Amino acid sequence: MKDINEKLSAIIDDELINDELIDDLLNDEECQASFYRYHLIGDVMRDEAPHQLLEIDISQQVMSRIEEQSVDTLIEPVIATDNVVDMPATKAKIYPENNVISFAKRFGQYAIAASVAGVVVVSSLMTSQPAIENNGLEVLKTVPFGGATPVSLQATQQQSQQAVKDYNERLDALLKDHQLQLQTQP
Amino acid sequence: MSERDLDLQLVRRIQDGEQQAFTLLVRKYQNRVANILTRYVRNSGDIADITQEVFLKVHRSLPSFRGDSAFYTWLYRITVNTAKNYLTSQSRRPPASDIDAADADSYDGSDALREVDDPEAILRSQEIKKVILTTIELLPVELRSAITLRELEGMSYEEISNIEDCPIGTVRSRIFRAREIIDKQLKPLLEY
Repeated sequence: MKDINEKLSAIIDDELINDELIDDLLNDEECQASFYRYHLIGDVMRDEAPHQLLEIDISQQVMSRIEEQSVDTLIEPVIATDNVVDMPATKAKIYPENNVISFAKRFGQYAIAASVAGVVVVSSLMTSQPAIENNGLEVLKTVPFGGATPVSLQATQQQSQQAVKDYNERLDALLKDHQLQLQTQP
Repeated sequence: MSERDLDLQLVRRIQDGEQQAFTLLVRKYQNRVANILTRYVRNSGDIADITQEVFLKVHRSLPSFRGDSAFYTWLYRITVNTAKNYLTSQSRRPPASDIDAADADSYDGSDALREVDDPEAILRSQEIKKVILTTIELLPVELRSAITLRELEGMSYEEISNIEDCPIGTVRSRIFRAREIIDKQLKPLLEY
């Protein structure tokens, strides 16, 4: 015991690190108590101990609470395992139903999100279109040929060429229509 | 070897699933954690509970501890944060100024905080401290010198052997004998 405690003293001072010694320490309650008291001596010498020392060794309480928490987190996987392996009839329903509910819930969320996105896209398309009412009377049209696009320095050359082309086609159509009307007049 | 070697060994074991190793970290640091908490927590009756809370948080966070800093530095930060959370939950303000981790251990909390302490518990604590310090005073000079250089100056065995002009094995033996003598007086005063 004396030899172990001497090694323990060296371990505390980080002068002896040995896996076997740590194993011994972990398996020997008396050694752990000595470990605590040796540290307490140092804490008191350095004035690092609280003015009111802890009355109890809290390590066991801490470990108990850790175990409790571990059990709590393990409960769900244990139930799931039961269902898969040797599930009683009552438990058998739990796992699949939970999955179906979860899937349906998630699918519903996606469907709602998709619907909202669709409404937003459609409404934005509708509001961005120019409100042109085509009643068939060319003379009443106030929209310039090629569309009423705002003046912008960002307009590309390609866009301008397309506008001119549209303009010429429309002009040709008007001239042909005009000539046709002249020919058909008595 | 640095101070963190044993701590790191224990942390690695815990990360590998050997939960029992956490017991040693708790036993090593519980009083130092409690000492830090006394700066923040007015009610000494809560200290033990909050100390437990600190170690539970430490245990939960250990998987992410990579060892970039000393374990104690990391533990100190968790302790202070837990204390501040406690104060927030109690609707009290934390201290206006923090204290560095290096100075925290030697910090002696304000006397004003002690009005709600348990007088009997303080008396027992004072008795324990008195026995330790008195026993040290009564140690043979070579033992007292060795343990003082180790615990107060933080010297390694090699440094002490150079100062004391004796082999490292002798230093190790002297420090152990000093601890054994003090422990013999201390053990009957503790419940564990």
